[in-house]
Amino acid sequence: MLVREIMHPDPVTIAAGASLQEAYALMQERGIRHLPVMEGGRLAGIVTDRDLRLATSALSPSPFPPDTGLAEIMRRPVHTADPLDPVEVAARTMRELKIGCLPVLEDTRLVGIVTGIDLLDAMLRLTGVHRPSGRLEVCVPDRPGELARLTGLLSSRNVNIQSILSYPDADGNVRIVLRIASIDTRPLAEALCGAGFDVVWPPHHACR
Amino acid sequence: MPVVVYHPGYASYRFGGEHPFSPVRMEMVLDLLRETGNPVRPVEPPAATDEELLTVHTARYLEAVAAASREGGAPSPVFGLDTPDNPILPGLDEGARLVVGGTLHGARLIADGEARQVLQLGGGLHHAMPELASGFCIYNDLAIAIRELVSRGLTVAYLDIDVHHGDGVQQILYTDEKVMTISLHESGEYLFPGTGWLHELGMSSGHGFKLNVPLEPFTEGDSYLEVVERLVEPALAYFRPDVLVVQAGADAHWCDPLADLMLTTQTYEKLFRAILDFAELFTGGRLLVTLGGGYSLRATPRVWTILHLTLSGLPLFDELPAPWLERWSAQLGDDPPARLHDPPSPYEPIPRWEEINRHNRLMVQRLQDAVSMLWL
Repeated sequence: MLVREIMHPDPVTIAAGASLQEAYALMQERGIRHLPVMEGGRLAGIVTDRDLRLATSALSPSPFPPDTGLAEIMRRPVHTADPLDPVEVAARTMRELKIGCLPVLEDTRLVGIVTGIDLLDAMLRLTGVHRPSGRLEVCVPDRPGELARLTGLLSSRNVNIQSILSYPDADGNVRIVLRIASIDTRPLAEALCGAGFDVVWPPHHACR
Repeated sequence: MPVVVYHPGYASYRFGGEHPFSPVRMEMVLDLLRETGNPVRPVEPPAATDEELLTVHTARYLEAVAAASREGGAPSPVFGLDTPDNPILPGLDEGARLVVGGTLHGARLIADGEARQVLQLGGGLHHAMPELASGFCIYNDLAIAIRELVSRGLTVAYLDIDVHHGDGVQQILYTDEKVMTISLHESGEYLFPGTGWLHELGMSSGHGFKLNVPLEPFTEGDSYLEVVERLVEPALAYFRPDVLVVQAGADAHWCDPLADLMLTTQTYEKLFRAILDFAELFTGGRLLVTLGGGYSLRATPRVWTILHLTLSGLPLFDELPAPWLERWSAQLGDDPPARLHDPPSPYEPIPRWEEINRHNRLMVQRLQDAVSMLWL
């Protein structure tokens, strides 16, 4: 899954010459929190609703007046993403820098924007919960071939897997979370238990 | 007395082999009613036309269903067709169209004032999406019938007591303020289709008119009926629909092999009486009831027989007649039920019942809080 699949194309932008007041009005009107700031057709900075609130706060010792130009408070340089970046790269950048969006640049041209909400959408798609499905979670030893054994069993029952994720648990095993395109996960849970897998979800049909 | 809608051709809506969604369930109900001196004289509906199906589904989906259900037809897993849940047998399309035609015919009888109450002995295919067969459901008969009622200027409350979330009906009507949907189901954490959360309240003008109560596994009858009393009744009192449409799946019964709720036949009888009361109180008696899920052949035919007798105002009989038990012995299995109702205390006590009841009460409380700002 690449950034270009989850980004908003043609983002709303504002000119560097605009005022804080105008940026605020634009955010309110469009229901957005992030505004790329443009200068001469290029991305020059970024301003968020939080930047505006902090800059103008009555609690600040020297608040900026509403007619201040955006260039005074915008952040730069701007951290950006490439349309061909995998979504997990964008997620890691945003997490490490603790920022809420990444403008997407193709060469120097602004072609989109990705926000934290878009990454949540990506997570929903990656976990398969956007389609009707049932959840199965299996705990397997961390060694080659376990996943093949699991998917082989599902394949032999002609069951389609909607999504498959894995992560290491605290005991050094691997949890495999599956979403199955079937109304009934319990015959599968039973078959998996029968084949020696440690099924942990659904909890009341777990093997142990 | 309700008008009963049924067509022998519903039997073509089948998935073959050991598939749980089997037309034998309706045959067992009809046979039990006949055997106990309550024979049903159903109205036979016409099959739904392309035009009627297109009020909810897309043209390319109709083509895919038709192509898949022809002899030697082409599978379309993209549309959820020919998967383990929804295998395709020749004739399925015709059967599905008759089932949709039945629910739609029932809706029209009510809209035309020719019937106040209709029991459709089939249908309730609440998982079907505009372009996706899902959870044994090919076409969404409920959404098609509800759209017909709305097109006649009627407002509709849809109550879904199937153990699974009524996701297709909710999604199709998500922005429609003329339709309130209420689904009570085992939580999507544990059960297909994984939706039906408290925060799913509808969108745009439909916001506040879509209600969901995700129930804990092993929820028992008393807690379930408390949810009905605390949530369903006030919701209907607020919305005041012209028609109440009910999907009466029987898979919340404790015997059901696909889910984990613990309703008894006694709970169902109380629930059906409450639904009748709601119709009298809020819709001038206008009520359309369909079947739905229900995969225990020991339980489902008894629940739906109770449904028919209750809606008809007929007394419930006690013992299951011997000829019926004999004819269906293969379906009823070893140790078949002896009576229409479950025996007292039919299952082992649920150790966590207090925690379960508290959780369900909390769900209702939270939902009430969420809608209190919207229902002004």
